Order: sequence, then C-alpha cells, then structure tokens
Amino acid sequence: MGDLAVLSAEEFRRLCDFLYRRTGMAFTDRKQYYVERRIAERMAATGAGSFATYFSLLRIDVEGEVERLVNAFTVNETYFYREEHQLRCLTADLITDRLRVGRAGQAIRIWSVPCSTGEEPYSIAIWLLENWPMVDRYEIEIVGSDIDTGVLEKARSGLFGKRALMRLSPALVEKYFAPDGPDAWKILDDLRESVRFSRVNIVEPLETRPYGHFDVIFCRNVLIYFDDASRRIAAENLYESLAPGGYICLGHSESMSRITPLFDVRRFADAIVYQRPAESTHG
Amino acid sequence: MPLVRKSQESPATAPSDPASVLSALAHGTDDERWAAARAAPGAPAGAEALGHALATERNLRVREAIFTSLARIGTAESVEWVLPHLRSDDAHLRTGALDALRAMKGAVRPYLEQLLGDLDADVRLLACELARNLPSEDASRLLCGLLDSELEANVCASAVEVLAEVGGAEALPILARCADRFRGTAFLEFSIKITADRIRAQAVPPRG
Repeated sequence: MGDLAVLSAEEFRRLCDFLYRRTGMAFTDRKQYYVERRIAERMAATGAGSFATYFSLLRIDVEGEVERLVNAFTVNETYFYREEHQLRCLTADLITDRLRVGRAGQAIRIWSVPCSTGEEPYSIAIWLLENWPMVDRYEIEIVGSDIDTGVLEKARSGLFGKRALMRLSPALVEKYFAPDGPDAWKILDDLRESVRFSRVNIVEPLETRPYGHFDVIFCRNVLIYFDDASRRIAAENLYESLAPGGYICLGHSESMSRITPLFDVRRFADAIVYQRPAESTHG
Repeated sequence: MPLVRKSQESPATAPSDPASVLSALAHGTDDERWAAARAAPGAPAGAEALGHALATERNLRVREAIFTSLARIGTAESVEWVLPHLRSDDAHLRTGALDALRAMKGAVRPYLEQLLGDLDADVRLLACELARNLPSEDASRLLCGLLDSELEANVCASAVEVLAEVGGAEALPILARCADRFRGTAFLEFSIKITADRIRAQAVPPRG
C-alpha cells in the first residue's frame, strides 16, 4: 500500500463521529494512523477513489460495508478467558445476586450467544469450576448458540489449537484438556458434554422464544453489526430470554442503553452489565 | 461435575390466533400485552391494532414492544401510526416514535419533505435526525432546502449537525447564508464553522 495519508483531520473526525454513533467504537486523534490503514484497505477493496466516495458507501452500508470495516478494526479471533473481567463479574456479583432470588431448586442458566467455536461457553464452565466455591451446591446449565452451524460443529468437537488456549495457565490446560495431535487439544468429555450447543438467530423472535429464564446472557460483539431495526428486535428477544432480574453482558464498545430503555444499567467492580428489571418497573 | 446439560429448550409455542393476539393487545395484563405486541406483526391488521394500542398504552415496556413491532412491519401504514407521536408532550413517547421511525428508514423517506416543512419546529428538528439515515446526497439536499429558510436556531443546529456527516460542497453557500442570518447566535455560528470546515476538507466538487 502506498501513501497512507488518506484522511484529513476533518475527515478523520467525521468518520469517528459516524463510527461512534453507528457502532459505539471510539477512536482518539492518536489512533488516526491505525484508522487510516483500515480505511485505505477498505477503499482499495471497494474501489472508492476518495474518502468522500467511501464514506458515502459506508453510511448506507453498501454490501455490508459497516460489518467489513468493523471486522478490519477488531480481532476476529476468540480464545479462552478472552474477557476475564466479565467472568470475574459473573462469580463476584452476578450469580450471587441471582441466588438472592428464591430458586426452588432451579438450575443457574447461562447463555453464550453468539458462541462461535465454543471458547466462551467452555471458558464460563472452567471459570466457574475454578473460581466459584459454591459450584458444587447448584446445578448450572450452560448453553452456547450461534447462527452458523459450521462453527457449532467445531464447538461440539471441543478441539482447539494453541492460540485458543494462550490465556490459560499450563495447569488449567493440563486439567481440562488432552493433547490431540500436533498443536491440538481436546477438552475433556465431561466438560464438553456439560455445554449444550444450538443454532439460533437472535433477530428472529420465533427462534429465540424457546430460550427463556436465563440468569446471565453473554452476547458480545454482535449487536454492533446490526442496523437500528435489527438491534431493537434482538434486544427485545434477549430481554424475553432473561429471567426477571437476569443480566446481559455485551462487548466493550456496545451499549444497550443506546438501543432500548428496557434494561437497567448496573455497574459492578469488574464490568458494566445490563439487567432486566426484576418486575415491570418500567410500566 | 456440577455442570449439567439439560434437555433441549421447550419447542416454540405457535403464536396465538390473530384474534387472540389483537384482543390481548387491547385488554390483556402487562405481560399479555407485551407478548401480543411482539406477536402482532404476524397478524392481519397487526399494524392497525398496534397503532390503536400505542395511543393508549402507558406501560413503557409494552410501548417499546409496540414501537419495535411497527418498525418490523415497516410499511407506510406503520409510519402513519407512529408519526403523530412525534408531536407528543410525553418525552418517552416522542423519543420512542423517533427511534421507531429511524428503524424504518425506507418507509419514512416519502414523508420527510413534509416533516421538514412542518409548522411545529420540534417536528422539523426531529425530522433532521431522520434525514441522517438517507444516502448522503439525498440527505444533504433535503437539509439544505430546510436550512435556507429556517427561522428557528435549534432546528438549524440540528440540520447543521447532520450536514457535518452527510453534507457536500453544495451545502457550503447555504451554511454561509445561515451563519449570516444567525450572526450573534454563538453556538450556531460555531457549529456551522465546524461543519463547513469538515465539508471543505473533502475537496470534492459540488454534487448534483
């Protein structure tokens, strides 16, 4: 790639305002070079001869350009313990809070959606086993769902490469995985069989309707791609899938408050999460 | 191991028949109205029932579901049920209406000229935000048309803010005339300067 000075300072600010409004991603002036590189790549890929032309394409999301640009900014790989602060919040605050509600023997239910190739739901399982002293006293159901049946097959296989395990200590890898060929590890069957995987499109109410009464939902970095209408529908579907008082954890640039007033914002020591009001306090 | 894998989720129950949905929307409990509002897009005359319900619904959660379902239907009829609420004195209702209209940008497009020329300055101001969803040239043309004759500084400010995102060189003389008309209105002069600087930085000849 040649000259990367594709954006003037004013164009950079115009782009940043748009990206923040549309996706929640925020960039400071110090990130201009980083942003410019991605814009230059996308301009080349779309054949846009100027930033003005590219920005017009981006604004009306021609051929999913918003998603393509967001993907250029984000690390499209998932690995175990990727968002450890949310896992800390899960055991320090969220589950404890959910247990204050009379449960009458009901299992604690956790949903990871979209779960991609399974690193997040398996991470939740390992984190609970390692970090929640009361783990033996409650039944815990973990469900992983995704729209892509290909990634779900990989998740069910429980096979992972070295990069996926990079954040786990050798002791945890040894405890929960078995080597399975060069640079491959298979999660132990007991753990693999404790997570259920299913296909779901979170924008389709008929598909999410069977999923209900979750105590905690992890829904990270998917709403960022949706347009206004799809975000609203997804947010209501997720609301309906939570038990009253249940929590939802989003990606760090995402904000439920920008989508719908249905949820309350809760600030804990390790994470900001969103809560379905315990009862119809919004009515 | 305490982690358990339970059986599959219960299969989705089929939505109630349309008559039940519409009846629940009008007469149900909060939870029944919420469920009915979410099911209404699948019912014949769903938009009409949602529109009637919107006029009387006081529960914010149910109201939100009504707005979302009208946006899911996304027809001119949906838009017409939502539009009157842009004039509401209830801020929640007004904001809900704006968000719903924003989510049905294709259906709302034929109404934008009328909204930008509305007698109510608040409606014109909110309509500027709706124009933001249009392709840049279309949005810029509409907002320039408004800006050239608008007398309310707050409406101009709303249009100028959107032009900072969508405006092309064709907006520059209109911005200059607006600045002249509102000389001494510091916040608007500042906003116009920022927007004009951004547009000039594109260095592209006037469009259209």
